[in-house]
Amino acid sequence: MTTTTRATIGLLARKELHDALRNRWFVLYTVIFAVLSLALSWIGLAGGQLYGLAGFGRTTASLINLIMLIVPLMGLTLGALSLAMEREQGTLLYVLAQPVVPAEVLLGKLLGLATALTTALSIGFGLSGLLLAWRGSTMGLGAYLGLFGLTILLALLSLSLGLLFSSALPRTATALGSALFAWLLLVFLGDLGLLGSALVLRIPVEQLFTLSLLNPLQVFKIAAILLLRSDLQVLGPAGQYAMHTYGMRLLPLSVGVLLLWSLLPLLPAYLFFRRRGAL
Amino acid sequence: MYVARWHSIAPVLVLLLNLTAQAQPALSLQERLAAAAPGDTLRVVGGLHPGPLRITKPVVLLGVDAPVIDGQGRGTVVTIEAPDVVLRGFVIRNSGRSLDREDAGIAVYADRVTIADNRLENVLFGIYLRRADSCRILHNTIEGDPSLDTPRRGDLIRLWYSNDVLIEGNRMRHGRDVVIWFARGIVLRDNTIQFGRYGLHFMYSDSALIERNRMLDNSVGAYLMYSTRLTFRQNLLAYNRHASAIGVGLKDMDEVTVEENVLVDNQIGIFIDNSPRAIDAQIRYRGNAVAYNDIGVQALQDAPRSTFEDNSFLENYEQIDLVGGGRFSEANGTFWRRNYWSDYRGYDADRDGYGDVPYQTVALFDALTDRTPAFRLFAFSPAVQALELAARAFPVLRPEPKLTDPAPRMRPRLPEGLPAVHQPMRPPLALAGLALLLMGLWTMGRSHLHRLY
Repeated sequence: MTTTTRATIGLLARKELHDALRNRWFVLYTVIFAVLSLALSWIGLAGGQLYGLAGFGRTTASLINLIMLIVPLMGLTLGALSLAMEREQGTLLYVLAQPVVPAEVLLGKLLGLATALTTALSIGFGLSGLLLAWRGSTMGLGAYLGLFGLTILLALLSLSLGLLFSSALPRTATALGSALFAWLLLVFLGDLGLLGSALVLRIPVEQLFTLSLLNPLQVFKIAAILLLRSDLQVLGPAGQYAMHTYGMRLLPLSVGVLLLWSLLPLLPAYLFFRRRGAL
Repeated sequence: MYVARWHSIAPVLVLLLNLTAQAQPALSLQERLAAAAPGDTLRVVGGLHPGPLRITKPVVLLGVDAPVIDGQGRGTVVTIEAPDVVLRGFVIRNSGRSLDREDAGIAVYADRVTIADNRLENVLFGIYLRRADSCRILHNTIEGDPSLDTPRRGDLIRLWYSNDVLIEGNRMRHGRDVVIWFARGIVLRDNTIQFGRYGLHFMYSDSALIERNRMLDNSVGAYLMYSTRLTFRQNLLAYNRHASAIGVGLKDMDEVTVEENVLVDNQIGIFIDNSPRAIDAQIRYRGNAVAYNDIGVQALQDAPRSTFEDNSFLENYEQIDLVGGGRFSEANGTFWRRNYWSDYRGYDADRDGYGDVPYQTVALFDALTDRTPAFRLFAFSPAVQALELAARAFPVLRPEPKLTDPAPRMRPRLPEGLPAVHQPMRPPLALAGLALLLMGLWTMGRSHLHRLY
């Protein structure tokens, strides 16, 4: 990578970050995530603090749920909006008229948006971390930072998916619509569909576990639980099967799968973007 | 009253009861025992004493400065065959490793023996009582061998046809079970059992009192089987988590009172299998705190003639599980009264401390996993949350409630004297949180304040 390329990407990333931070959606997501994670940590601690008991209860579960609900939505919508909106406004035409190549534009967008998402997440995590530390929680530093890293990975993979929609689809509305549908699919329909099929077809535990891994959100969930508990007992027979078969290798494995999910959509995104350009 | 004899080989001198200033000629512990009269008190000050040792007359063996009896890996280290023996203050280590011969740290074959303040290390079985009534096992520390798999270990304490035994204040780790077989009137109090298979294992042992014990990090905290008239109170059962792990399990038990226990962070808090068994027997669960378990209470079948009163069910992922579905019925005598449920959504308009609408479990996902446990894989998913919401909104989807608590508590009621788990401030976590927060705010502020170029 030449110096000019790097400088170009850096400049584009800064511009993207600048734009994202002024995006009302982004600000709204940031505030919602911060407030909800703070509230959930507070509620979760209220029990532990009062009774000297603490554990991996429904509240911890809702914290993971919150991440699984909001973070993909942030990444997908921001990613879907980025290229498509600029394309509609005509600014993309202006950018591409400069001496830059499509790869630089795409990478710049990715970097800028990833930084923006990290910013939003670190504010939410930072606030809840302070609260957890102040009120005294059972969560260790390693688990806390690990969960933060996993969440960034989740943001990254939904961002690249969003970018794929943004580069492939001509209009903002369609890109955003597809991104929202993808979110629904990942968060709700995928699991419900699998649950329904398993109910009807009586899928055995091993296959159920393998099939569930097709959904990156399930991979995230498994990694998060492993990180917080070093065990998958809470997931019942399927969790026991997974621990028995893979053991703690499951953690690096799932991180690898999440990385793959964040990198793979970039290739078709690049191909689409090169073909379509500013049109 | 002793025979002096030089031990040219033994490197360690044994100091004697009537010790003055100077060292005395060494005499082995076994020889001193042989010389003692019944009722004598033998003081043993420090030193390493090769075992195995047999005590065949009623004497008091008093260890001062932790004298060591080393079994050298052969058989049982100390065997007590006389009644009224007191063994206090010794370190007993290195028993044999044969499960068949049941090699133990201390084996007792006589009544009214007191074993107190000893430390047992690297033993297969810890303290083994066979047909030894009215013994007392007090304030001992027993360490099994953590390198062995749990089934290959011995039991930390094992009672066999030994009635009216008091087991109090012992600390036990890394064993298989503490197991009580065919023994009446056992009292177990203030013991800590950790990192074993079954913390406590009761078989065919009636009229026992089990109180204020702590069973932590075992596969099963306490498994009570085939016994009657048992009181299980104020125990702490926590972090018992392995495949099919349980806090306290009741199998074919009659007339049990389970009260004011704290069950935290176990896979299953209370497990009920065919209890009560007798047609006229009752079981009472009263004032327990059941919190942060995967499943609060799991009943393998219906739990007839059982009352669940004033318990607090806090934040268990599934509060109550009736395996195979179905519901608890008051016609069979299962009563849920005045319990606290952390997922109760009712209100208390008349402010009497009890909710005005009944608590009913309506979790659709619970109903699913009760029937097909494999679906627990989807726990903690937003999809499941949506499913629950749908079940609340559309009664068509709502499963029949497993249980009904007509007037649940509005606030939890926790056992008194609950060992508080104080969580200290966490400076590293605070620093990390602060760093993340500042990083986020800095990036945000910089991009907002500065112009691009």
